[in-house]
Parts: sequence; structure tokens; C-alpha cells
Amino acid sequence: MVDIIQIKDLNKSFGDIHAVQNLSFCVKEGDLFAFLGVNGAGKSTTIHILCGQLQKDSGSVIIDGADIEHCPDDIKCKLGVVFQNSVLDAALCVQDNLQSRAALYGLTGPAFDQRLTELSKLLGFEDLLKRPVGKLSGGQRRRIDIARALIHKPRILILDEPTTGLDPQTRKILWNVIADLRKNEKMTVFLTTHYMEEAAEADYIVILDSGKISAEGTPLELKNKYTADYIMLYGVDEAAVKLLNVEYEQVRDAYRLTVPNTAKATELIVKHPEVFVDYEITKGKMDDVFLNVTGKKLEGGAGK
Amino acid sequence: MRTMGALVKRNVKLFFKDKGMFFTSLITPVILLVLYATFLGNVFRDSFQMNIPETVKLSEELIDGLVGGQLISSILAVSCVTVAFCSNFLMVQDRVNGSIKDLRMSPVKASFLAAGYYVSTLISTLIICFVATGICLLYVAAVGWYMSLSDVLLLMLDVVLLVLFGTALSSIINFFLSTQGQISAVGTIISSGYGFICGAYMPISSFAEGLQKVISFLPGTYGTALIRNHAMQGALAQMELQGVSGQLVESLKDALDCNLYFFGEQVSVGGMYLILGGTVTVLISVYILMNGLKKKQ
Repeated sequence: MVDIIQIKDLNKSFGDIHAVQNLSFCVKEGDLFAFLGVNGAGKSTTIHILCGQLQKDSGSVIIDGADIEHCPDDIKCKLGVVFQNSVLDAALCVQDNLQSRAALYGLTGPAFDQRLTELSKLLGFEDLLKRPVGKLSGGQRRRIDIARALIHKPRILILDEPTTGLDPQTRKILWNVIADLRKNEKMTVFLTTHYMEEAAEADYIVILDSGKISAEGTPLELKNKYTADYIMLYGVDEAAVKLLNVEYEQVRDAYRLTVPNTAKATELIVKHPEVFVDYEITKGKMDDVFLNVTGKKLEGGAGK
Repeated sequence: MRTMGALVKRNVKLFFKDKGMFFTSLITPVILLVLYATFLGNVFRDSFQMNIPETVKLSEELIDGLVGGQLISSILAVSCVTVAFCSNFLMVQDRVNGSIKDLRMSPVKASFLAAGYYVSTLISTLIICFVATGICLLYVAAVGWYMSLSDVLLLMLDVVLLVLFGTALSSIINFFLSTQGQISAVGTIISSGYGFICGAYMPISSFAEGLQKVISFLPGTYGTALIRNHAMQGALAQMELQGVSGQLVESLKDALDCNLYFFGEQVSVGGMYLILGGTVTVLISVYILMNGLKKKQ
């Protein structure tokens, strides 16, 4: 697959604060790419540079073969952004909002009407077109934000914490739509999120800390590298668990054993088949990866 | 062109839907109306009658027409600028609520967005000021009509020029604002202060000489004088026809700010148009230059 976003040696400072330092990574076309970091890690700065809203100090940003410095307008046509907070006009109705934004991409008249029909069906807001955006619920407004980002059929969809504050059902609807877009239109999705289970669905993850990459890889690679495996062991007493000589904790109806990796788990099971009658092996979670990489916990996901 | 049309439509709709901003822009004209209705109208009416020789008998209608002309010229002179400022606050609101981020995500240039704000402010302000002009003319017709067709047409031209001026000035000042607090501060200063410096509450001729000299450097003053001339010259001409001496009419014109002086030299009506037109051109050029020179952070 082609690298649709190539960032090399990117630097950006605000006075003495080095928001982004020698950042280099690539995003493959059609991938769901997760960009993680605590607040102030440099995610938003990078996104603003990608979108042409901020000037970089040095380095290069190539999007779909075009340099952001030389062809910013071409690149803007290929990007759709869902901002952390809705930036649509609260006083205007949904249709007026989308119409004014579509016109900025030269999409007017029947072409706009057709696109509006497509998107309202896709995101299920046909009955909201005449409602002022300010009167919509959080979930309804998020759907309109996504429609705005998709209005000009971008190749890359940037989602800046798109599901923060949404109820589980709305989150599910949004992720289903995004999955459809990726499947049917091969859209690349660049995601920042505080929900680690969303990041766990990504094809590739970059974790940013203090403006630098502190870890990157597929979710499996990161889990293998930064977390242990866990064995849930059922139907045994503590004395038997103690004999295994591994770190453990008692949870309801079971003991949770911590082993360095799956190979060690297999070794343990083979060595003590009499103990491992009823058990399951799980990888560590992305929360653990993030905590182990940065030493910090992402705010927002915990409450879920 | 369609893109600009859509942008302007969005901005104009937002201004008229934001009732707070819309009514704020009408505060000064409403204050003026209240002042004239309660006492200022009577003060001016008595002042005119006292200055007219007893040998000359002027009709009540003529006096009312002159006072009405003064009222409408004050209202229009103030509205053209304060409404433009309030309408143009949309560019700051967009920065405050983040909408500008969304607009700048599109492939249109920042200068295009700036032009969109200018044109939409111009349209919103013209709509309000033309409606206000219509109401003002109906009022004058009710109390005493002495305006000719050319006076009405020139009054319209004055309104357009003053709106162009107010829009350009507000574009430059609002360019530097980025918070709700700044909007409130500038809005309050303009709404309350502009009425004084343009002579809407009290004629500039009644100010101290030093202040008059300072005000003579403000281009908006000449816009007010133009509107005063075209709103009142019919009534003043009628006074002359009814026996008031030319000298007295000239002194009335001085007192009513129809005549303006720049360091003792009377500025002609043509000169006032040149000053206002030239200022509008300079301000728009500065606004374009500011947007052109503005760099991303």
C-alpha cells in the first residue's frame, strides 16, 4: 500500500515550548491510523500543520504526493476534518451549514443536493435538515460534523477525538459509518482518541509524548512489546496457583496470572496440565500499552 | 462567484439570526430617538425660534421639518457606522467559536474569506440603513417635507458612502480582535462614543475649539455633514424664501454642522465627498494589505 501521508523530521515550537520534535511517520492509504498522546503531547499541533492551519518550523509533510508547503489548496481538498468541538454555525440549520461549507469546495446546485441526499442517508439525518445545529443533541451534531467533513469526498478523514462525550450507541453508529467508508471508498482515517479500545482497532498506532514518538507499531506489536499476557484460571484453589510461582491476583471466581508473553504462558500450561483445566489467555490492553510507554494515563477513556 | 455568494449568504443570515448583535447595533439610534422625543427636539426647536427675528414668521411645519431633518441625519450618520461594526463582529465571533478553523480548512484563501466578511457586512448594514432611511423619510414627510428628489438621492449616496466607510473601518479594527471581551469592549465604545464624535447628540459646532479641530481630522465627520446637508438644505432654503436672511441661514448651517471648517477653511460638499471617498479607498487598501501580509503562525 502507498504511503498517503509522509511526515519527516517535523519540528514546531511556540517560543520556548517544543510542541513537535523531529517527528517522522507514515500513514498507509486506506488504513485506520491512531495518533495517541496525553493533552499537550503535540497531536493537535501536528494535525493543524497537516491541515495547513499552522506553519511548520522545519521538516516535510507530503500528502498524497503533494508537499503541504507548495500545494496547500490541493491538499485541503483531500482532507476532511472532524474537530474535537463542533465548529458549525449553531444558529443556522443543518442544510444551510452544509450548503455554505460545500460551496467553499465549489460544490453548489444539483451536485450539492445529490451529495446532501447521499450523506443524509448514510448518516441518518434526513429529518434534521431544517433543524438549527444549536438545537441538536450531541450525537446528532456529531453526525452533522462528520457530514461536513465528508461533503467534498475527501481521501483522508481526520478525526480529532470524535466520540468524546457520546453515548455508546451513537459511538457505535459513527464507527459503523467510518468502517463502511473505509471499506467502500478506501478512505484513510487519521484518528486521535482517548478511548483505547477505539485505538485497538487501528491498523497502526503512533504514541506521542512531549512532542516525540515514544512508541509505534500495530496494536499487536505494541501489546507484545509493552504489556504482559494474562491467564485467567478458573476452578482452582490458591495453593495450586502459588505453586506455579508467577505473579497473580485474585479476581471474582478466578485467579489472574501475569506472564511475560504467550510463549511463557504455553510453557507454564504444558508444565502444569493438572492446574490448567479451565482457563483463557488474553493479551494486555491498549491502556496498559499507553501507561507503560508514557507512564501516564489517558484521561477520558477510564470513565467508559 | 457562487462560492462568494454562499459565504456572504451565510454571514448575512448569521447576523440577522443573532438577535443580540442585531439589537446592539440599534442601541445608539434608539438612544437618539429617545433623546429627541424627550427633550433634544424641543431644545433645538426653541433654539431655532429664538434665533429667528421676530419680524419673520416661520410655519410650525418648517421648524418641525428642520428639526426632523436634524434627527434623521443624526440617526443615519450613527447607524451607518455602529451597525457596520456590530455586523462585522461576526469575523471575531468566528474566531471565538472556532468556525474560522472550519472555513480555513477549505481551499479558499484567507483574503477571500476577508472579502466575504466585508461584502456581507456591507449588505447587512445597507439593508438596515436603507430600511432606516425609508422610515426616516416617512417621518420627515409626516412632520414637514422640504426635500427635493436630488436631496433624497444624494442622501442615499451619503448613506452608501458612510456604510462603506463604517465597514472598512470596522474591518480593520476587528482584524485585531479575538475574544468575546474585546467584542463587548469595542462594541460599547463604538455604540456610545461614535454618537458624540460625529456630532449626533450635540452639534460639533457646540464643542470646544480644540476638540472641533481634532474632530475635523476624522473622516466620518464629513459623512455626517453630507447627510445633514442633504436632509436639511430643503428646509433651510425654504426659510430663506420665507424671509430669513442669507447670513442667518449660513450661521444656522454652521450651528447645524452643515458647514464644516478645516482650520478655518470651509470644506465644500464636493470636498467632503472627496475626503470620504478617499478615506474609504485608503481603508479598503489597508484591509487588503493587512490580509495579504498576515502570516500563519
